Amino acid sequence: MDAQTTTPSTAPQPATAEKTLSITVTPKAALKAREALVKRGTPQAMLRLGVRGGGCSGFSYVIEFAEEPSARDRVFEFDGVKVVVDPKSLIFLNGTTLDYETKLMSHGFKFVNPNEKTSCGCGESFTV
Amino acid sequence: MIVRDRSDRLTSARYDEAQDSMALLQIFDPKARPEPIGIDLGTTNSLVAHVVDGRATCVLDCDLSPLLPSVVHYASHGGVLVGAEARDLAAEHPRETLVSVKRFMGRGADDPETRRLGPYDFVSPREGESNTVRFRVRERVVTPVEVSAEILKVLKSRAESHLRTVGGAVITVPAYFDDAQRQATRDAARLAGLEVLRLLNEPTAAALAYGLDKGRTQGTFAVYDLGGGTFDITVLSLDDGVFQVRSTGGDSQLGGDDMDRAVALDALHAMGFEDLATVPPTLVRRALDAARAAKHALTDATETALTIERDGDAPYVRTLTRDDFDALVRPVVERTGPACRRALRDAGVKPEALDGVILVGGSTRVPLVRRYVKELFHHEPLADIDPDQVVAFGAALQADMLAGTGPREDALILDVIPLSLGIETMGGVAEKILPRNTTIPAGRAQQFTTYADNQTGFILHVVQGERELAADNRSLATFTLKGIPPMPAGAARLEVTFRVDADGLLSVGAKELTTGIEQHVEVKPSYGLEAEDVERMLMESFEFAEQDIAARQLRERVVEAEQVLGATQKALTIDGDLLDEDERAELEGALRALRDAMQSGDRQAIHLRTEGVDRAALPLAERRMNRAVQRAMSGHALQEFEEELKDRPVHPHLVGDGHTH
Repeated sequence: MDAQTTTPSTAPQPATAEKTLSITVTPKAALKAREALVKRGTPQAMLRLGVRGGGCSGFSYVIEFAEEPSARDRVFEFDGVKVVVDPKSLIFLNGTTLDYETKLMSHGFKFVNPNEKTSCGCGESFTV
Repeated sequence: MIVRDRSDRLTSARYDEAQDSMALLQIFDPKARPEPIGIDLGTTNSLVAHVVDGRATCVLDCDLSPLLPSVVHYASHGGVLVGAEARDLAAEHPRETLVSVKRFMGRGADDPETRRLGPYDFVSPREGESNTVRFRVRERVVTPVEVSAEILKVLKSRAESHLRTVGGAVITVPAYFDDAQRQATRDAARLAGLEVLRLLNEPTAAALAYGLDKGRTQGTFAVYDLGGGTFDITVLSLDDGVFQVRSTGGDSQLGGDDMDRAVALDALHAMGFEDLATVPPTLVRRALDAARAAKHALTDATETALTIERDGDAPYVRTLTRDDFDALVRPVVERTGPACRRALRDAGVKPEALDGVILVGGSTRVPLVRRYVKELFHHEPLADIDPDQVVAFGAALQADMLAGTGPREDALILDVIPLSLGIETMGGVAEKILPRNTTIPAGRAQQFTTYADNQTGFILHVVQGERELAADNRSLATFTLKGIPPMPAGAARLEVTFRVDADGLLSVGAKELTTGIEQHVEVKPSYGLEAEDVERMLMESFEFAEQDIAARQLRERVVEAEQVLGATQKALTIDGDLLDEDERAELEGALRALRDAMQSGDRQAIHLRTEGVDRAALPLAERRMNRAVQRAMSGHALQEFEEELKDRPVHPHLVGDGHTH
């Protein structure tokens, strides 16, 4: 996917029912996440996805280890990997696919987010 | 969803051209210790690196470049740009764009050398002021330490966006830096909110990057560092695994820039300029940029095109072969010879006795330089680490070593900020400055500006919490900053600094940068706050997330719309005669439509109508600009519209998003 993503919806539209919000993790990303969790010595731990303010384009993506979900987190499971997202981040991440890419020079996770208007080269930051 | 300063659009375009080769993300471990970083604060370029799995790597910017040009541009209305964007403005704004500020570090204002170092507007210290160099850039006066701090701030935030938590920093300095220059570097780091683990000599950093301390305990090495504007030669000896500087030498006015100058001069002569004093500064800058591009191309290519744009004329184009280039720059390269021979003599070392020669600095990529170094030292120089990055790598390795790499179980249990801390901005929006879960001690500065013309004060309302509107968060403190002279909206520059110390004490400072007026307050954010309160506040922020975001977006649109309404009406009152009847009717119609939309409270409609007013006001804006230019040209003072002074502080207005990259 091109880094400069444009969609007709320029801002995240507050969804009416929380249940309709969701994310996807590709099998490859799930595999790599599980490997990372095992390597860390915490195979039962989870992956937290989210957004926070900051970065060159306004918001940055968060991808980090989490020991357990917080009370209001939505918990997803993809190929045995538990993924938690706080409800506020989920509004921005709705419809996002977490992928894992292997390139010649680098490899790592990538957020493919339909809410994204512009993003920057470092892949961490975006505007909605 | 952040209110951007409408008057300063300089920063907007760059990231729209996001690259396809997007870097990929790694999983961050919240239990990881803060990452120590290494910084090469260079004369021409600066870099920041860190160590991953024992290997040093530079943090890349949004364009995937490790280099941050050490250039700081002070924009109108007090905005500050650092790096490539600033460098691109140097041609047009030579006095407002500080290049190679490192040369001024620790120098006295009365040093006769100082004023020869740049085309700047130097300010002599007033009675009672310290004897440091000061530059006037637009309406403010800055010191080299402050300018360097701007560069360090960008490096720090670049590292933070990548590593999340940044520990201490090792910063490199030239081996010859004296105490005053080293202290100035430390001061700049402190201003940028960086903890300095150690200042490290640049040649030592390069030697560490090559691992010359590994597998041997004795040795003698020469480090040949030809940067953009400085040449340093250092002889190091390794004794019992510790590097010692045996001798240093060099030329603080010699580097790749001189190569560019030699090539540019040749081109300008060919363009028919006999006396260089008659060449417009803009053209000089363009010629230098073209020369640099040609130099880079000739590292690999044997021939390239040198193109210089000319105003009102076809561009000057010539073909430059590597042989042409070598002939032009050979005198520059040969100027490094005497210093090298002297350094060897001072160290009492014959070239044959050296255990190695290291190349540092981008200019050592020039093939002629490599050949020359080999002749001079009778050694094939070590060059397999990128000469631009090698010093930063060494600094990162040193930082990693100083910080100690313990197993994860030893990871520090760090205190974090339980709830975000921020201030209220126009429209009642809560702008988070330190996000929740930031490890403490922590500090961050963000710039704001005035919302209305002649606004003489700011109300600073410090709030805590995750909600988007200030009113829904916990109020910690309110203070005002008064006495700002009347200025047009957007001209004042308020820097708000949040600092939380290791004890959790928050101090908020606000400084209006154009006048230096400041004020600060201390609060204990955790005072009277129980764990349940934190939990409840978090819950509420989730509960109301959707409404909050919608409310914030609406308020931001309204603030934007009000600004446009105000500015347009003001312009119409002063220069309404510039529009014909149809244009005037159209603009007034657009204004009416915007006011109606604001009544409706429909975010999307307000946005569309605001854009409508912007469009309809375009002829007026253009003609006003022409009229101002004509007046200025004919010598008449610009008649400023006198407006009743509003001596009423209002909430600050966010400038950009507070991130420099």
